[in-house]
Amino acid sequence: MTASPSFYAASSLPAALDALAECGAEGAPLAGGTWIMRAPIRHEPLKPIYVGLGGVPELTRIEETDGALAIGAGVTHSALGEAIAGRPELRVLAEAAGRSANPAIRRAATLGGNLCTADFAAADLVPALLCLDAEVEIAARGGTERLPLAAFLDLRQSLEPGRLLTRVLVPRSAAFSAHARLPLRKAGDYPTAIVSLSITRDAAGRIAQARIAVGSVETVARRWTRLEAALAGAPLDAEAAHHMATELADEFVGRDGVEAPGWYRVSVLPVLVRRAVIALH
Amino acid sequence: MPIDMIVNGEAKQSAADPMTPLVDVLRDEFHLTGAKPVCREGFCGACTVLVDGEPRAACLTPAGLAQGREIGTVEGLSAGGRLNPVQASLVEHDAVQCGMCFPGMVVTLTHFLAQTPRPSRDQVRAALTGNACRCTGYERIVAAALDVAGA
Repeated sequence: MTASPSFYAASSLPAALDALAECGAEGAPLAGGTWIMRAPIRHEPLKPIYVGLGGVPELTRIEETDGALAIGAGVTHSALGEAIAGRPELRVLAEAAGRSANPAIRRAATLGGNLCTADFAAADLVPALLCLDAEVEIAARGGTERLPLAAFLDLRQSLEPGRLLTRVLVPRSAAFSAHARLPLRKAGDYPTAIVSLSITRDAAGRIAQARIAVGSVETVARRWTRLEAALAGAPLDAEAAHHMATELADEFVGRDGVEAPGWYRVSVLPVLVRRAVIALH
Repeated sequence: MPIDMIVNGEAKQSAADPMTPLVDVLRDEFHLTGAKPVCREGFCGACTVLVDGEPRAACLTPAGLAQGREIGTVEGLSAGGRLNPVQASLVEHDAVQCGMCFPGMVVTLTHFLAQTPRPSRDQVRAALTGNACRCTGYERIVAAALDVAGA
């Protein structure tokens, strides 16, 4: 590897995978850098070697393939938001990408970084993609594997060195979706809680299937399967959804943080569910 | 390995470690002190510079990512000693208070108004999401931006 001691700019995916494999535990991928560059503020050490992914063209593609939208892990939040604007089934993802952080950060921060940053509980793209039933592709020198996003979230801190999240696959669907987030200011800071919602309706206009994911409340975003089951077959009604969410919210144990205590994050969930349902109309 | 970049149209070379924040290279090596390292977390926007023409937080941009890129700082927006229309409007509206946020405000608004020549008030406010004014002088800043746009 012809790398500088601390930064190697990969120019292709095979070169990036080779570099990551050779660096082993000493190395880590760096895309937009918006999280890694704050390591000193978090009193965390930097890795000895970063493999820069900005010059890897394979990672910035967005393409329609075999029933899914395949989004390269190097696609920035702003590029993603622009590419999928106007598609109701993906609105949850467009809003998550287009309203998180602030414009300058959205131009740098990538999809892959958002999903791989295990310490970032308030990541917007994670619940959005959970409610879209997304899968991720993990590449290594030896080949590529595909797994559901929820499984990746469980595995991401124990992945062997040399593995890289390369694409996210969002299955095509006829659903309608919405993303409700509650930052303390109107915009520009982390959401205290996030509800991502994707719903298909039957011929009578009732909810056929609801997929709901909750982010920022617990340390890792997850699906709210009890609420999904309660909503199936129900009319699409914001007040009813609010009521059901109030009944079921006690399954969450909110994380305490400097910006909000855990109980507060849980207590706003029913309102965010209501807002998400209203936003579907 | 030195890092080559174009800064305000001029070829420059940095000897910094590639993980050094770009804002530190600009200020400490190139003596362009317009961009301010204030929060170093990407929240405040005082370090905003253009990377290949687009506003970025220079505190979170590793110098290594500037290799081969065109960097534009607030100093480059008033070349020839003339204020650009955004700067002139901010002076006209007496919008500048302590000045800490202003280099970032100017970089963000100059780019935004070039992209969105006739913005709504809400669009201006959304564009300034990542630029915090500690003096809370937003009303005059927004008014100055709308004035440039002829709104």
